[in-house]
Amino acid sequence: MSGWTPVALAADLPPGTVAGVVLRSEEIVLWRDGAGPPHAWKDRCPHRGMKLSFGFVRRDRLVCLYHGWEYGADTRCALIPAHPDLDVPETIRATPWQVAETGGLLWVGSRDAGQPPDLPEAMPLRSLFLDAPLDTARTRLRSGGLPGLGEVDLIGDGPLLRFAQGGHLFAVGGHEIGPAACALHLTSDGTAAARAALVPATAALRREVRAQSRGAAA
Amino acid sequence: MTTTVTVEFTGDLPPAPFAAFAAHRAARLSVVHEVVAQDAGRAVIRLTGAAALVEAFEMALSLGPAECLVRDVRRLETASGGGAR
Repeated sequence: MSGWTPVALAADLPPGTVAGVVLRSEEIVLWRDGAGPPHAWKDRCPHRGMKLSFGFVRRDRLVCLYHGWEYGADTRCALIPAHPDLDVPETIRATPWQVAETGGLLWVGSRDAGQPPDLPEAMPLRSLFLDAPLDTARTRLRSGGLPGLGEVDLIGDGPLLRFAQGGHLFAVGGHEIGPAACALHLTSDGTAAARAALVPATAALRREVRAQSRGAAA
Repeated sequence: MTTTVTVEFTGDLPPAPFAAFAAHRAARLSVVHEVVAQDAGRAVIRLTGAAALVEAFEMALSLGPAECLVRDVRRLETASGGGAR
């Protein structure tokens, strides 16, 4: 993978919490320490391979649920509870992804991803998980925006689709979970009405994209 | 405490994946390892490092890479030394 990909709404990862995401079958753990910056690592404890996203945050460290190995924000294992006096070698580390927070979204990037996009603040609306290829969902959004909100005016394309519709400005980032599954992350220009309008629209979008995906596969 | 042990692994142990897995785990755990003997059914590895991490290495290799099935792990000798914390 190259470049930056939005994988979650930033608001869905409060300080001191952990979440797991799947990006093109790669499992990634997202977490924040108390100070707030996000971290994105391969979702495997270097000890026994347990998913770190099953773990929890204590003292600004991500703690593996299995044997309690603790990892600091620098990815280093800082404590092995079974051997509390052990000077843990710096070779025991989680594997980091690049991560950025912009436009109300959390983005992950490959090592050679370069600078992340620079986006204005946006109001988080919701993430929507679909049993359909990401291309199908994006094509549907490009052509008609969100169902039931009227005519769409596409403003920007790329990792983030930006469009005006129904008097609101929406931005939709998406990531591929697998060949037939994706997640869309929706933000808006900040009006509460956009959030209200979204509830029936996302339900209809889910139905339409699923129907298109099944039609294409048949 | 630093320790040196020689450990024998027996089972279905294709040499290439088992050696690669051992090298990877040794590097991660900062354990010095030397493959003393190896064939498709047996590997003997000399390990030097913090006792807790040598044990972690043994445990990791007892699970092995996917291509291998470790049936038994046995320490052949042990020599402990001092003081490295």
